[in-house]
Amino acid sequence: MGARLGATALLLLGLPGTLAGQSMRDFTTARQLHGEDRLVTRLDFAAGTLRLRPGTSRELYRMRLAYDAARYAPVSRFDAGTGEVRLGLASVGGSGIRVSSRSHLEQRASVSLSPAVALSLDLTLGAVEADIELGGLRITDLRLQSGASRTAVAFSRPNGSRCGAAVFEAGAAELTLTGIGNSRCERIVFTGGVGKAVLDLSGAWTTDAELRLKMTVGELALRLPRDVGIRIRMDRFLASFPTEGWTRQGTTYLSSGYARARRHVDIELTTTLGGVSVEWLP
Amino acid sequence: MRTRSAVLAALLLLTSGTAHALAGPEAPRAESTTTAATTTTVSATSLARDIWSLIQQMAVDARADQAEPARPTQNRARVRPQQIQAAGPAGPSVDLSDLSHANVLDATLASLSRVPEATLRLTVPGGQARLGSFVIGSQESLQGHLLVMRGDAVVYGKLQGNLVAYEGDIIVHPGAVVTGDVLALRGAVRDEGGEITGETRTLSATTAPVSAVAPLSAWALTFRRVAGVLGVFVALAALGAGLAAFGRHNLQVVSDTVSHNFGRSFVTGLIGQILLLPTFGMLLVGLLLSVAGILLIPFAVVVYVLLVVVGIVGGYLAVAHAMGEAYTRRRLAQGILLGTPSSYRFLVFGLAATMALWAAWAVFGWVPVAGTLIRGAAVLVTWLLASAGFGAALLSRAGIRENFAGRIIPPEALTDEYLWATPQFGVPAVRRPGTGSSTSARTPTSGL
Repeated sequence: MGARLGATALLLLGLPGTLAGQSMRDFTTARQLHGEDRLVTRLDFAAGTLRLRPGTSRELYRMRLAYDAARYAPVSRFDAGTGEVRLGLASVGGSGIRVSSRSHLEQRASVSLSPAVALSLDLTLGAVEADIELGGLRITDLRLQSGASRTAVAFSRPNGSRCGAAVFEAGAAELTLTGIGNSRCERIVFTGGVGKAVLDLSGAWTTDAELRLKMTVGELALRLPRDVGIRIRMDRFLASFPTEGWTRQGTTYLSSGYARARRHVDIELTTTLGGVSVEWLP
Repeated sequence: MRTRSAVLAALLLLTSGTAHALAGPEAPRAESTTTAATTTTVSATSLARDIWSLIQQMAVDARADQAEPARPTQNRARVRPQQIQAAGPAGPSVDLSDLSHANVLDATLASLSRVPEATLRLTVPGGQARLGSFVIGSQESLQGHLLVMRGDAVVYGKLQGNLVAYEGDIIVHPGAVVTGDVLALRGAVRDEGGEITGETRTLSATTAPVSAVAPLSAWALTFRRVAGVLGVFVALAALGAGLAAFGRHNLQVVSDTVSHNFGRSFVTGLIGQILLLPTFGMLLVGLLLSVAGILLIPFAVVVYVLLVVVGIVGGYLAVAHAMGEAYTRRRLAQGILLGTPSSYRFLVFGLAATMALWAAWAVFGWVPVAGTLIRGAAVLVTWLLASAGFGAALLSRAGIRENFAGRIIPPEALTDEYLWATPQFGVPAVRRPGTGSSTSARTPTSGL
């Protein structure tokens, strides 16, 4: 009897020790370049830290993941017929949000894409801190949708091909776009919900461009190069805008030297609550 | 050390297979392996292949020994290279035609890897499965998918199909060709210059996060929980003592409100919780409408949060006070001397009562099912009491308003017995029953 009780007690005492902790796994996927000239990339990353960089010319793409295996499963599927690859994480469901320490949020993704092929890039980010370097790639079109994230997108070097459109949709997010002039995009759309956005229009402008910016609540900081003619059509409500240095024509503002500038950027700016700040770049 | 054992194993194999030794190390270059190996008897070719695998493995191990020392691959128990026989129609089968769900495949192979190698049977549709390291020689061309379990897959030649290694590495040497996907589960893929036309994937074993805390034993868990409950008790008692010392009147009014109008307090607390966020939103929107208001937003947020916390914690303490008071008075009425009744005593007794369920959870929380039930009950009761306390704090305006505290006695309650037993000083005669004009008045009895 005593032995039985002892065994039962031991069994029960051992139970708390079997409480499973969260488990992280590493996943790597890559594909060699075999003559492809175009790649459609869809990247879906729900939570964690994302780093995207140009890769080597030998590989079409490469992704390294450290992910929470209890909540997510890695996604890596290439369709040779359409030249489309899906990368990222898919929720496995059922586990819910279970964060008991900061380390549990430390999912990491590191993605590199080939600079040798034309890229159509579609990024969907959730609660993500993203550092995206697109300089040197050949982006033909770009779409970035971010939720509660902090995202930095940079074109440090000129885009390798002409880009039709770049669309950025940010929810409650902080978004920094640097070197938009290097993007070679003819049309850029930014829609921000709540948060802060920094749009840096520096870079080597090779074509005229049209920017449509909409910020609902928050701060929008524009960094504008002096050698590019800027025209802003403003629609604002309860939002401030520094008018010094601009020539006003109704709701349109022209930068000084707009007529003489070789390249022109037309900005359609809609903002509701908050403010727009302007910093002129040398 | 491992290299030495591999040499010994190779020698043993060589000794046992002297009759077939003529095949020798030329086997990987033999032409006979252009199709999937399906023979069930030990032939000279398969023996030679095994020997060649061991030699390759020794080479791989020697290289790995010079590489980083902490690679998990090195800790794996090596097995004798052999083919895994196909299972029957009802036996286990692993489809390697789609490797995009690496985690699913890993789970399947993890369960199969626990089967003893002598009894392991596995079917790979359109391919074959191997146990232990396996080498495709430079002149070999293997058709179909290949699964290598608990060993490395070394490719010098050509594989026309998908390649999966479980608990092993995949090494693709220069000149090698894999016309399919490559997946290393709990291992690595080392592309040393070969051609892989498909996708290359690796999936590591499950690893605990670096900062993960080791599971506690039941004793340690219980001790930690008991300490936590005691800590909360002491913290609340200290807060209650401060409240009793500096805001006793307010505490008593909220406490009396709970005692006399528990249901009303609870409903008010419930509605208050529901309205917390909308009220906060309205406050923010109202402040956003003016520049001065926008500047005040940070302060308003802090003040609002503080008020809510004070309301909930203060209300909870008032409930504890009310419970302690009820208990003390009942004991005194029974003639049991408990010392001088005071708010401090009420709070200690009340907090002890409210924390009783949490104490039970701290001690028995590790018991399956019962622990969960106790914790659920503790959460429910705590929420109930906190809601009632919060509602009482709202009703009494943090103890300023006495309307619901039972301290104002309606005229109809002023019976002869009450008046006989109650000192009459301070009670205005005009408010006594039957004096005409007192019908609408409620008699303040505070301080009687």
